Amino acid sequence: MTIRSFDLLQPRSLAEAVELLHKHGDDARAIGGGTTLVILLKQRALHYPYLVDLQTIPGLNEIKQENDGVRVGALTTHRRVELSPLIRQRFPAVAEAFGHIGNVRVRQTASVGGNLAHADYRLDPPPSLLVLDTEVSVFGPNGSRTIALKDFFRGIYETALEPGEILTDIKIPPMPANSRAVYLRYGTLSANDWPCVNVAVLLRKENGRCQELRVALGGVAATPLLISGLEFAHDQVVDATVIEKILTAVEEQISPSSDLRGSDWYKRKMARLFTQKAIAQLSG
Amino acid sequence: MANFSVVGQSVFRKDAQQKVTGQVLHVGNIEMPGMLHVAVLRSPYAHARITRIEKSRAEKVLGVAVVLTGAEVAKMPGVDPHFGPAFRDQPILCVERVCYIGDPVVAVAAVDRRTAEDALQLVEVDYEPLPAVLDVLAAAVPDSPLVHETHRPAKSFADLAHVKAGQKSNICYQFRLRSGDVDKAFAEADRVFEDTFSSPPAQHMPMEPHVTLVYLDEGQRINIWTASQTPSYVRTEIANTFGIPMNRIRVRIPYLGGGYGAKLYAKLEPLVTALALITRKPVRYALTREEEFLTITKHKVIAKIKTSIKNNEITGRKCEVYWDTGAYAEIGPRIVHKSGYTSAGPYRIPNVWIDSYCIYTNHVPAGAFRGFGVPQVIWAYDSQTDMIARAIGADPLEFRMRYALNEGEAFATGTPVKSFGVKQALREAANAVDFSKPSVNQSSTKLRGKGVASGVKAVLTPSISGAIVMMNADGSVNVLSSTVEMGQGSETMMGQIVAEELGVSFDQVHIVQPDTDITPYDTITAGSRSTYHMGNAVRMAAGKVKAVLCEAVGKKLEVDPEDLVMQNNRVHVQGSEERGMSIGEAFLVKFGSAGTTITGEAICQPEAAPMDPETGQSEKCTEFWFPSATSVEVEVDTETGKIRLLQFYSVGDTGTAINPRHCEQQLLGSAITHLGLTLFEEMLFDEGQLTNGSLLDYQVASFKDLPDSFRPIIVQVPHETGPFGAKGVGETGTLTVSAAIANAIHDATGVRIRDLPITPERVLRALAEKSQAAKPK
Repeated sequence: MTIRSFDLLQPRSLAEAVELLHKHGDDARAIGGGTTLVILLKQRALHYPYLVDLQTIPGLNEIKQENDGVRVGALTTHRRVELSPLIRQRFPAVAEAFGHIGNVRVRQTASVGGNLAHADYRLDPPPSLLVLDTEVSVFGPNGSRTIALKDFFRGIYETALEPGEILTDIKIPPMPANSRAVYLRYGTLSANDWPCVNVAVLLRKENGRCQELRVALGGVAATPLLISGLEFAHDQVVDATVIEKILTAVEEQISPSSDLRGSDWYKRKMARLFTQKAIAQLSG
Repeated sequence: MANFSVVGQSVFRKDAQQKVTGQVLHVGNIEMPGMLHVAVLRSPYAHARITRIEKSRAEKVLGVAVVLTGAEVAKMPGVDPHFGPAFRDQPILCVERVCYIGDPVVAVAAVDRRTAEDALQLVEVDYEPLPAVLDVLAAAVPDSPLVHETHRPAKSFADLAHVKAGQKSNICYQFRLRSGDVDKAFAEADRVFEDTFSSPPAQHMPMEPHVTLVYLDEGQRINIWTASQTPSYVRTEIANTFGIPMNRIRVRIPYLGGGYGAKLYAKLEPLVTALALITRKPVRYALTREEEFLTITKHKVIAKIKTSIKNNEITGRKCEVYWDTGAYAEIGPRIVHKSGYTSAGPYRIPNVWIDSYCIYTNHVPAGAFRGFGVPQVIWAYDSQTDMIARAIGADPLEFRMRYALNEGEAFATGTPVKSFGVKQALREAANAVDFSKPSVNQSSTKLRGKGVASGVKAVLTPSISGAIVMMNADGSVNVLSSTVEMGQGSETMMGQIVAEELGVSFDQVHIVQPDTDITPYDTITAGSRSTYHMGNAVRMAAGKVKAVLCEAVGKKLEVDPEDLVMQNNRVHVQGSEERGMSIGEAFLVKFGSAGTTITGEAICQPEAAPMDPETGQSEKCTEFWFPSATSVEVEVDTETGKIRLLQFYSVGDTGTAINPRHCEQQLLGSAITHLGLTLFEEMLFDEGQLTNGSLLDYQVASFKDLPDSFRPIIVQVPHETGPFGAKGVGETGTLTVSAAIANAIHDATGVRIRDLPITPERVLRALAEKSQAAKPK
């Protein structure tokens, strides 16, 4: 398996990168860590005469604290997110999720932006980032814009990125006061596998009552999914009845497809089970 | 082991440090000037006729040396376009038909792999689809469409001499065993157990994929560097296929990055030889992992097993075993035969009937896989043995102990068993897991249970190992053997045996890597056979060297050579070390000149008595057996169906353990292989198309998947003709893993899984069905 001949373009700025992508259109593709793209190129499932290397652009691999949250550059490796003291302290569920991806060699290479832009439905990071209301910044021919992560995923391997646009960073806002989040992943094959089902839950409670509840799942729909319509839980005690309503909402919104990691029947059961487990961990 | 100085010691293997520091030569590291690289276009159809191949555009690509088709191979003078160890059914490149998705159709040799792959994309092939045979049971029915019209036996191995030419059937080989009167046993039974067990096709997954380099030397001889477990066979196959004398072919094998049965017989060698002969340049073909999936698999097996019980005693057992050997028979017939005759288990059963079928389908060819088919039949018989014991209220351990054969009792083949440590292994396994003490559940959704399983594999008999031992005048030794070091520790085993025999230290023995110009014939490095066969050959060859030296020293000292021993680099009279001399002095006595050598050659060739073709009966169907037992404690998560392995004991009767640490490592290594195969490994096909053919979707067990507590236990029941009593251990740990785990799951939950792999979903469905059935209607 070898990659067909291509030119590696190494821009020095975002503007230059966007220009190159614009100029070469469908003949060019941006490459970050390359852990997924290179496999597809080697399998000759994809071919681009030009690869635009984002690693040569300065400033895209930083984890920075800002007033309104933590900004993670698109070229930051999974390993750095996993080990970042800032992320571990502020968003342990995010550090946890990034720490499960592939193996340490993959995590040293793969980038945060590449992971999200690949838009696979069963990756580790999206559920945690979704419950944290993460925003995605992109830069393109028409300048910058931000997109809520929940609106970023459009379908299997499909995102809101327009032609020529580059994902530049993500911003994770501070967790609501007194909230906690948890990430659970469940695999059916080897311990190294992608999750069959993964789930993240964020819960803010005051005086024993739910003030905010967010639930996101991966592996059980065409895209990672933030569950909507959970407002009923507001100001409620998270008891068996409320949990059952949450699980019903999950069941209604997911649409798993059967594959080697489990049938539709099985994934539905696991989505329910692990959502329940995650809520139980936060309620305890 | 007090009598031995090196044998029985866990000496460190010689190749460990070089391997972990990357100092070892593999075929993939060898570079040659002007070497060409190969890419192969593969069939997208499970069964089709090739109607047109257009390759002129590919031929014009700069850097392409040749674009080769099967029709062109068939026209090469003197070349047989088909090869194979049991039947000559596999084309070097497909000639008129393709027989599975992934079948090689066109090969390109070019200056580099990328150019070769670029050229392949310019080749056009038209196909006319033919009916595909994709279900192994349907394939065995007489009116099934045929994969091959006729079957042409290869006649390469003595133990396959009985394989017959056939036609008009997808069953290319059938083994039959008839002992006692099974019909009568079933007619008189109080109770009959009838179950079907399945195991899926799977991958061997050696770290090093197949790779072969062929060049013509200055004498225009064919030189082959290849990652193969069978140097001698590769030479024979190339000689037969290309019509070339055997001494015009040289096959060399450096260290392998694992084999596990994937690298047996001929694989890439015929194609790469054809390309080297056409281009007159060095040519290397290295498979990608994805191609590896399309080259060779573990057999998918469906085993139907039926057992009769009368007065709580087993009276009869009938086994029908269906082996999906894929598009080409490969070594399927040998597996169907050797594993087939063990299908009823190591138990005393008065009436046994076995039918074992080797069946062509349009799937990827299946071949040898660590355990050689025996894990698939033990999965069936030792699951069912457990079911019977529990159903009649017997203790599953004591039930097996009651029926396990004693020394000298006849196996189902009529062969009296020797050095048959099944009971010992079973007892050790049960004691380790404290089998008589039930598991204690820690939670209502985490159910624990214990399971044991036992079984045996027979060593391949007859087979041949030749060796030459050459002692140098300084006491150092070169051992010439065609046994392939593929990680199993064969070099260490041979070094220990030769050092012991010649009274030198382990470090003084060098093992020459397989080279058919130099190292004598060996049937195969597989089937756990090398310690016994090659161990005996090198020991006998060393004994001949010793005899020559002792003769010379005896004459000089005027003592009977029979009274001399070799110890600590000296030849001396037994019991009085001072009456003797150093090895160096002995050489001077013998030759009167420095730098001399003494060479001994020996062949180990145990014989078997041919089986009766109708009944499978034989006074001696095998030289010896590999008894195995596994015990395990599992925890079943009843919410997910996921299995956690709390304790795991891999027990094997190895005979005398030449190197105990290596024996333990083999027991654990082979158990790890079968943990993955038991819990999640499976090649999935959709209409003949493999759907999980890469490491992204097909996973093997990793260190993260190991049991919480994981231990090997060696049982040593010496075999009378083994080197120092040794038998072997390469596959033993694979044999009983699956059944032991399924038996433990049943103990924990009461559900019985009959299909591998035991995925969480299968367990959860079985639990759901059980609770459904328990509900009042």
